[in-house]
Amino acid sequence: MTDFDAIVIGSGMSGGMSAKELTERGLKVLVLERGPEIVPERDYVDNLAPWESPNLDNVAQDEIAEHYPKQYGGVAYAIKESNKHFWVKDDEHPYEEAEGTSYDWLRGYHTGGRSIMWSRQVYRLSNLDFNANKTDGYGIDWPIRYEELEPWYEKVETFIGIAGSAEGLPQLPDSVFQPAFELTDVEKALKAKVETTFPERNIIAARIAHLTDATDEQRSLGRSNCQVRNRCHFGCSFKAYFSSLNATLPAAERTGNLTMVHNAIVSSIEYDAETNRVTGVRVTDAETNEKRLYTSKVIFLNASTIASAMILLQSKSEAFPTGLVNRSDQVGRNLMDHVSGAGAVGMMSGFDNQKVFGRRPSGGIYIPRYGNLNGQDKPYLRGFGFQGGSRPLGNAGGQIAGIGRDFKEAHKNPGPWRVNISAFGEQLPNPENRVTLHGSKRDRWGNPLALFHVTYSDNEHTMLAEASKDAVAMLEAAGCTNITANDVSLTKPGNRIHEMGSARMGRDPASSVLNSWCQAHDVPNLFITDGSFMTSSACQNPSLTYMAFSARAAHFAADLIADGTL
Amino acid sequence: MRTRREVLQGLIVSIGGATALTACGGVANVLSTQPGMAPRFYTSIEYALITRISDLIIPRTETPGAVDVNVPGYLDGLMTEWANSETKNIHRTALAQIKAELDKRARGNFLDASDSVAEQSLAAFDAAAFAENADASGYKRVKGYVSQSYFATEIGATEELKWVAVPGRWDPRVEI
Repeated sequence: MTDFDAIVIGSGMSGGMSAKELTERGLKVLVLERGPEIVPERDYVDNLAPWESPNLDNVAQDEIAEHYPKQYGGVAYAIKESNKHFWVKDDEHPYEEAEGTSYDWLRGYHTGGRSIMWSRQVYRLSNLDFNANKTDGYGIDWPIRYEELEPWYEKVETFIGIAGSAEGLPQLPDSVFQPAFELTDVEKALKAKVETTFPERNIIAARIAHLTDATDEQRSLGRSNCQVRNRCHFGCSFKAYFSSLNATLPAAERTGNLTMVHNAIVSSIEYDAETNRVTGVRVTDAETNEKRLYTSKVIFLNASTIASAMILLQSKSEAFPTGLVNRSDQVGRNLMDHVSGAGAVGMMSGFDNQKVFGRRPSGGIYIPRYGNLNGQDKPYLRGFGFQGGSRPLGNAGGQIAGIGRDFKEAHKNPGPWRVNISAFGEQLPNPENRVTLHGSKRDRWGNPLALFHVTYSDNEHTMLAEASKDAVAMLEAAGCTNITANDVSLTKPGNRIHEMGSARMGRDPASSVLNSWCQAHDVPNLFITDGSFMTSSACQNPSLTYMAFSARAAHFAADLIADGTL
Repeated sequence: MRTRREVLQGLIVSIGGATALTACGGVANVLSTQPGMAPRFYTSIEYALITRISDLIIPRTETPGAVDVNVPGYLDGLMTEWANSETKNIHRTALAQIKAELDKRARGNFLDASDSVAEQSLAAFDAAAFAENADASGYKRVKGYVSQSYFATEIGATEELKWVAVPGRWDPRVEI
């Protein structure tokens, strides 16, 4: 007899979806969250007005140096005085980087994980992506194709809510959409000129997980339409953007089948060699250091790509001396992210008689991948997309000439329009890019620190150099002026916060950790549905794909429990 | 009359949002140095200077100006509570340079100059600072602090910039 039918380790993007689907199938589920509870009524700070936060809502500089050097260095735009409690303190949660390498591990430990701080762009993968490894030989072949995943994309999209527009692009399949945020006239002009000059390129509305026409199901969870405040990094009292905390966890909760335990840091997963099953999860209470063991029939590992790999590596036994389900030696390897650091900014004239109303969240436009769509036609493998947008420049930074009444009143003018686009490129899988357990350093709970060794290949450098040229060419084609493109400088690995690949899926147990159901080859009642399973990174923001695989795996596991297999 | 917070709470309930009403309740700690109190970071001369140039950059018009909304006290709080020693030194150095430059232009102590002389002095200095190839990062940063602080106040945000807490809709095309 086990304590629960299933244990889900991690309450973020994928853990929340796993918990929702498992509980809705009638299973008793325990969700373990290593951080404290976030209570929206208490901890969201989205309703603070600008004048209600001290110091322009900036975190004190000495405090950044002491507690947030990595986090702030990676996402300064998102960490403010009022919401700093959503981010880990680096001195409390340190990690190590191999000599000569650098890694941004950017995160928060609390209910919902990073799903409450994400940037909410959601795009499906296509068979261009599922075929990629097989086509060019980097990595191993995905054991699945788009058609098998499509109904699961539809299922999770219908639940989470996505604002976007149907475009019929084969490399970026349409989702189930609620109305998109309309492009500005500047973006429409950009679109028209770019698509005329470069017929293979498209400019579409960014697809974002915001409600614009909430369904009855979404309203029943207390969610409502986006109020266009762009306060998403502070939580959302309207629950308009998708997060575990706003949607999947409440859905799981209302089944009556969910138990959540916070401050539960997993030290290892228990394995029984006789039955070849994982049997339970050992945790340390973050506050009291109390050790506990929870047991279940199946375990879903959703601790996030890096933490999940570390938990497996920490779970050593006679049967698995190098870490649980690591007979392939692939756990922790093939660590990928997306890569940015190329783009362009320009001014667009002719629209000075226009401004906008509302503060549109998460950018405005997306330029789907256009390179290497039909065979190899670029000097790099795979491809990249651009995120971007346009807005009146405004004058609120005080950086315009003049003093007195004229200066004061100039701030009422929206100013000229600026366009920006920034590349997000695919990173090739490479087994030497990996996270391992540090040999001697441990955290305050006695668990080994993560040690990162991740570098970029020539392909990422070549790709971003081409992206920079393409960005300038597109803004030139659109008639922009004052175009600037900084020298290409690749973002640190991890900086895009799309880490994935540390327990990849594949057909052969000798070279992969999971099968196409996110089920461990070596142990049939262990599932991993966070970014760990990704066999390649594609260039699309990956959270939607994690959730689609999570839902699919949860139903597969529930079927196996129902028929007595597990 | 209902406060903005009460209006916001009512709106959240009326459109179906179920949460976060108490999040509206806690006004952040006010760290500004209040008018009449001695500055914590600035010397008396620096405080007089930042007060004078704040008033000239964003004066009282039909709406309150920078001094009316205590921008100098806000900046004193910013430098005390937020800035590290490097930023403090940069700011202090910038103020000394600004003072020296304005004294020169006012042909005497800028702080004793008449309103018209002070305004002309700062206007000329500002124009030079924003001229092409000018090296005036210190002044520009100070001006940025003044401007950002003013427009982050309730009056600056709502009366001057017409900032609204809950737009409720997106209109990508508003004719001016």
